[in-house]
Parts: sequence; structure tokens; C-alpha cells
Amino acid sequence: MRMHNFLKLFKGEMVRLVKYNILQVSFAVTVLWLLVIFLIGKEQAPVFVPLFIFMDAAVMTIMLIGAGLFYEKQENTIKTLMITPSGYAAILSSKLLAAVYLALQSTVIISVFAYFLFDVAVRFVALYGFIIIITLAHASIGYVFAARAKDFNGLIAMVGMYMVLFAFPSIFFALGALPETFDYLLFISPTHASLRLVNYGFAESVPLWQLGLGFLYLVVLTVVLMVFMVAPKYAETAIRE
Amino acid sequence: MNKVFSVRDLRFTYPKSEIEAVQGISFDVHEGEVFGLLGPSGAGKSTTQKILTKLFRSYQGTILYNGKDLSDYRNDYYEDIGVGFELPVHFSKLTGLENMQFFAQLYKQRTAIEPLLEQVGLLEDKDRLVATYSKGMKMRLNFVRAMLNKPKVLFLDEVTNGLDPKNARILKDQIRTFKEAGGTVFLSTHLMNDVEELCDRVAFIRGGKIVETSTPRALKIKHGQRSVTVEYYENNHTQAETFDLDGLADNAAFLRLLKEKKIETMHSGETSLDEIFIKVTGVSAHEDA
Repeated sequence: MRMHNFLKLFKGEMVRLVKYNILQVSFAVTVLWLLVIFLIGKEQAPVFVPLFIFMDAAVMTIMLIGAGLFYEKQENTIKTLMITPSGYAAILSSKLLAAVYLALQSTVIISVFAYFLFDVAVRFVALYGFIIIITLAHASIGYVFAARAKDFNGLIAMVGMYMVLFAFPSIFFALGALPETFDYLLFISPTHASLRLVNYGFAESVPLWQLGLGFLYLVVLTVVLMVFMVAPKYAETAIRE
Repeated sequence: MNKVFSVRDLRFTYPKSEIEAVQGISFDVHEGEVFGLLGPSGAGKSTTQKILTKLFRSYQGTILYNGKDLSDYRNDYYEDIGVGFELPVHFSKLTGLENMQFFAQLYKQRTAIEPLLEQVGLLEDKDRLVATYSKGMKMRLNFVRAMLNKPKVLFLDEVTNGLDPKNARILKDQIRTFKEAGGTVFLSTHLMNDVEELCDRVAFIRGGKIVETSTPRALKIKHGQRSVTVEYYENNHTQAETFDLDGLADNAAFLRLLKEKKIETMHSGETSLDEIFIKVTGVSAHEDA
């Protein structure tokens, strides 16, 4: 696998994040989360901050990746990138890294804000490390959704389904609305694995096996989706333009 | 003349389709020529171009590029070729210059961008967002995009389709200049005016099969009539008579006409490429192509 031009492609992605106002929108969402944390107060902050971080790294990543792909479909730019000497691996990786940057930007701002102003305990290194793999997994899911959706409304519908099937049960569990026995059952969901990793980042006691399994699950999911679904679909999308 | 591409028994079937989109076509593209692949939509010309530009890789048959199997080339193949797509392929929220700078840096060999923009009349607009460009400007920028890496082979897909005569002229002049500098052009189009002006050789494709390969001149002679029609003015009317080309110099009626009548026009019976297109492909060049 050659990663020719990876850094140049990544720089191009970052420039376009600014020019297409995606970075600004992401920052605005982060500010919104900060306002909500301020409103809910110090007592509830440790419960809700991990959820906001999870929402940003998971759901926002799917939406941003999907929106980006639809822009590219609309502007026919995928095909013209694919006839450069860069290769699919470098093109896709640069987009993934840009998504990771966006998620890390939000995570760093929210976690630092929560730590210093609301005394929320944070394991910074672990949190940021886990956010990277959570973002990669959900960026892959975002690509799969966007490749299958006919338009942006279709993508939103798929994200809605994903939220109902996978994200809401995990959020209800995190809020104590589901019994402890669901912890094992929910582990088949990538959102639950993600949430457990985020919880650990916020100094919650999470069994080691859950950390290991959750991390491994997201890594395998990312690799499987990228290699078997995203890369072939990406090429197909370019060709179908 | 060296063969840049040598294509033999090329076949391609789209996933989930039972019908071959390209059905065993063979042709050569020579160095320094403009080769036109002509046909209506769905005939297989865009599919063939996508195979030659390595966007489609699961084909059957043999394609040699400069004598080496195309599948043996990795992504460095793209250092050699430039592709001008039928539709604009730019980031609309970047300026024309920013677009070109982004793509240019991805190649080892690159040419100066501003002289290229100047050649197609876009230098003054280089700092405008592409979103504000007209279709003609975007298509000219497409051409600049294709030329950024000093390509040896240029693939052009319906490059002047939908352009006004002025913009079409700019692009055709650029293609001619590229050819005169030794470049090879693979042009897929249904616009016979472009073919007439630019192509050295053409192949007509219909239903995934090449049905005719020749030079535009040879095709016109082959499909035309060996006759000459003379229009002359007599009794306040324009009249016409047609004569056989063979033995024209000894045709007394023809010679008398020339001598005695006021000749308005004389046309040989060669046919137009539009008519050849309809005859060979069975579809009008302007319909569904």
C-alpha cells in the first residue's frame, strides 16, 4: 500500500474544511456543547460530558464524512483525484485524518473546559487515544452510509436509524435507564464499545476486558469496513459520477 | 510511427450486468496523433476511456501502453496522462488558481500554471471562486487541469460539448497546439465538427463493438459518391446538374456548362462525417449521444 502524496492530500483536506465552513460548523457545535454543559451545571457535568464527546466523535463524524462525500459527488472531484498518482489509500487516509482532527479539536476543547471549570476527572491521554479509534470507526460507517444513500436526506435517515438501533440503547444504559445485564448484550454495538472507551477517558471504572474488547472491536470494524466496503465503494462512486 | 496504445480483444462487463459494455474491441493509438472514438451514448466509448485511464481495472483482453501491459503500471502511469472530463471537476469554493495549485502539487512533473491559464483566457479570473465561473470557464479550467503535469497523452471526453463557438475554438486551438508539440490525444466525442477539425484517425463504436476505423478523409471518400454537382443560374432560377467524377475532364455536357452558364457553386459528392456517423452507428450524432 503506497501513501504517495498523503501529507499534501491531508493539507488539501484541511484547507477545504475551512473553505467549505466545515471546521467552523464543527467549532460552533462544540460551543453549543459547552453552553449546554454550562446550563446543566457542575453536578450533572460528569454524566453528560462523556455523552457529548461521544456524540461528537460518533454521530457528528458520520454526518461530516457523509456531507463531505456528497459535496465531492456533486462537484465530480473524486474522479479527478483518482487520476493523480496518489492512490486510493492515500486519498482515503487523508480524509480520515481530517475527520480525526475535527473530533480531537472538539474533544480537547470540551475536556479541558470540563476539567478546569467543572472539576470533571479526565484521563487525557487515554481519552484522546480512544477518540482517534472511535472517529476512525465512525468515519468508516459514515462512508458506508454515504455510498449507499441516494442523497443527503437518505444519509440523515440512515443516521437516524443508526441512532435508534445502536446509539440510543447505549445512551439509555449510560444514564442508568437500562439494567446492568444489558452491558454485555450492548457490546455488539460499535456505539456501546465507543461509549465505554469514552467513559474510561473520564476516569470511570471500566473492566480491562471491556477496554480491550471495545478497542479491538473498533479497530477490526474500521479495517473491515475500509478494506471491504469503503475502498471499493469509493472507486465505484468515482466511476459512476 | 510508435504505438502508444495497442488494444486487443478488450472486453468489459459492469458489475451486476449480464451484457458486455465493451465487446472485444481492438485498435491502436499512434504517438502524436489525435485518435477519435466516436459513438452514441451507451456505445462503450466512455467505458473504453475509463479502462484506458485505469479507473476500470477488471477488464479482459490486452492493453499495451508503450509496449508494456497497462496492468503492470502502478499509479505513476498518471504522471504520463492528462484527463479532460466531460463535466467540471473543481472544488467550487476554491479559486481557479487554488484548484490548480492543489492538483499540480500531486505530480512530480508539472508545468507553470499561470501561462496555462493565460492560454485559455482565464488568467484574469484566477483569483475568483470557481463557483462564480460560467460553464465555458469551468471547461477551460478542466483543460488546464488536464495539462498540469505536462502529459504525454491527453484523454478528452466530449471536451467542447455545450460550449459556445468562442470557448470551443479556444479549446480546439489548445488541442492542436498540444498535438503539434508531439502529444497524443484520445478523444471521445459525438461532435463531428470536432472530429473534422482535430482527428487524424477515428473509430466508430456501436453496441460495444468497433464497426469502422479509418481516417476522416478515407471515410468521406468511402461513404461518399463519386460525383460533382454544379449549381448554375439560368432563367432567373438556380438549377443543378450532377456529373460522374470519372471521366469528368472529357464530359462534354459538364464542360459546356462551365463555359456557357453562370456557375454559382460546385460540390463533390463526398459525404459529411455527420452522415457517416448516422450510417455507421445507426443514430443521429445530435440525438441521445
